[in-house]
Amino acid sequence: MDSLHAIGFYVSSGVSVIGGLGVAFLGGRMLRGVLLAICGVGLAGTYVSLGAGFAAIVALVCYIGCAVLIAGPRYRSIQTVIGPMWRQLGAVGAGALLLVLGFSAFRGSFVSAKPFGDGFGAADIGRLLFAHDALATDAIAALVLISLVGAYAVWRVRERSR
Amino acid sequence: MTANLVTVFFVAGALFVAGVFAAAWRRDVSSALAGIPLILAGAGIAFVGVARFAGAGTPHLFGQEVAVLLAVAATALLTLGLGIAGREGTR
Repeated sequence: MDSLHAIGFYVSSGVSVIGGLGVAFLGGRMLRGVLLAICGVGLAGTYVSLGAGFAAIVALVCYIGCAVLIAGPRYRSIQTVIGPMWRQLGAVGAGALLLVLGFSAFRGSFVSAKPFGDGFGAADIGRLLFAHDALATDAIAALVLISLVGAYAVWRVRERSR
Repeated sequence: MTANLVTVFFVAGALFVAGVFAAAWRRDVSSALAGIPLILAGAGIAFVGVARFAGAGTPHLFGQEVAVLLAVAATALLTLGLGIAGREGTR
C-alpha cells in the first residue's frame, strides 16, 4: 500500500470511527443521522483506500439511506424495558470485546501480510454475486423484500388509523 | 507511511464495538437500532481488509462482495426495525 492510499485509509477510517462513536454516545435524532452519514462517508473512503471501489459506492448509498431513516421524524421514540443492570453488563461486555479484538489483532501474525489486487471490479462482483454465491444474494434479497413489504404494511396501518 | 492488516482490524473492531455498545446501552429503540449498521460496517471493513491483504490464491473480490451484501443487509434490517418500532408506537 503506497503513502497516498495509506493517508486516505487513516483519514477515512478516523472519520468513520468518529462518526460511529458519535452515533454510539451522542443523543438527538438529527445529530445521530448526520453522524451515521459521516460514518458512511468515512466507510466508503476506507473501502476506496483498500481497493474496493464498487463496495464503496454501494456502502455510501446504503448508509446515507440509513442516516435519512434514523433522522426522519416519522417514527415515535420507544423505550426498551431492559433493566439498567443488563444494559451496563452489555456495555462492559462491549468494552471487553474491544480488548479481546485488539489483543487478538495485535498478537496475530498479520503485520507481514502484503496487499495485492486492486480495481473496481463491478462485473466480476456481479458474476460472484449472481453465479458463485447466489444463495447469499437470494437471502439478502429476501431480507430486502421482507423489509419493504413490512414498511409498506406499517405505512398502511398508520394511514388507516388516522 | 503505510497501513497493514492490524490497523484494518483495529478500525473494524472499533466500529464493531461502537455498534455493540450502542445496541446494548441505548434505551431508545431507534438509537439501539443505529448500532446495527455500525456492527455490519466493522464486519465489512474486516472482510475487505482480509481479502486485500490475504495471501495469493484467495479471490480478492470476495471481500467486496461480502461488503456489498452487508451494506444492503444493514439498510434492510434498519428499515425493518424502524418499521416495527413505528408500528408499536402507534398503539
